[in-house]
Amino acid sequence: MSDRRPYVRPMPRDWWARRPFRHYTIRELSGVTIAIYAAVLLSGLVALLQGPAAWEIWRGWLASPASLVLHAVLLVAMIWHLRTWFQILPKTMPKLVVGGSPVPQRLITLIGTSVAIVCSTALVAFVLWRPF
Amino acid sequence: MTERADKTIELSVLRYNPETDEKPHHQSFTVPYTRDMSVLQGLQWIKDTVDGSLTFRWSCRMAICGSCGMMINGEPKLACHTLLRDLAPGPVTVEPLAHFPIERDLVVTVDDFVKKIESVTPWLIPKHPKPVSEGPYNQTPAQLEAYENFSACINCMLCYAACPQYGENPKFVGPAAMAILQRYNGDSRDDGSALRIDAVHGEDGVWGCTAVGACSDVCPKAVDPMHAVNQNKMNTALDYFLRFLKKRDAK
Repeated sequence: MSDRRPYVRPMPRDWWARRPFRHYTIRELSGVTIAIYAAVLLSGLVALLQGPAAWEIWRGWLASPASLVLHAVLLVAMIWHLRTWFQILPKTMPKLVVGGSPVPQRLITLIGTSVAIVCSTALVAFVLWRPF
Repeated sequence: MTERADKTIELSVLRYNPETDEKPHHQSFTVPYTRDMSVLQGLQWIKDTVDGSLTFRWSCRMAICGSCGMMINGEPKLACHTLLRDLAPGPVTVEPLAHFPIERDLVVTVDDFVKKIESVTPWLIPKHPKPVSEGPYNQTPAQLEAYENFSACINCMLCYAACPQYGENPKFVGPAAMAILQRYNGDSRDDGSALRIDAVHGEDGVWGCTAVGACSDVCPKAVDPMHAVNQNKMNTALDYFLRFLKKRDAK
């Protein structure tokens, strides 16, 4: 007769809040930023449809301290998400082998992050200069 | 041990005897150590001089057999590859690998892991088998590079102990099985990816992975199982949509 009695340990319910998973949880939560900001833009579109009065109210809300704080928080979360998203990018794409040797993951992250920064900067510059 | 052990460190080891214990409990040992001693050597000192009933797995003592994986200060590590001097002044907690049932002390049940490895058909399946007399299947260095790091897996199971998705759902196929699958799928001499696709499909396949990435962080051989899992997300998605266009072989 076997004396085996394997003991199964329960998974901690708060594993996502513990190290080393905390970093992952923050990265995933920062992705919610996009949904929140999309809701802000969508509410602006709805206000635009409702007429000039609603549009002015929405613009007024954008200039309120609560909105400015929200946008500052969203910006920080978005920058964090951009940074961490490009960190895992090399692991979510096919292995790149150039000239017989693999492209270092750090280089892929660096190129991706640089392209994102250049594009974002160009977009901000385009909007600020208003060439149209 | 030529050097005199003049320092000590406390090891708090999780003990579990299925014949007498209802559940595991910690037991502390004060271990004398030298500069070159690993956690494994600390455990061997305990077994040799304090408590011969302490149970743990080990074999090669040089980080290649993958037998002595355990949780050291909460992190999955090879005990032979972790030096006591780096953990000083301690105390150091030593526990069996997380997410696996404990058989006794630091020994865990590996049955589920072995079944998962078997499920990915872990051998080469050439399209046109040929006898040895016809010579080897040649491969260029670039073709080798495409899968070489995945072939370094030593089945130590540290990645499963680091994976919270496996902890939440033991049916999840998990990182090492996918790394080994990718080792063969990525091999230019292999033509068996269609046989392996069922192992990556479904809720317990690769889509159970939420890209935590801890598996790659703890891998002692830089196998990067997270990369293997995510490459197979793409493969399984392509297979899902292309099955309407291509005729699959009857099994």
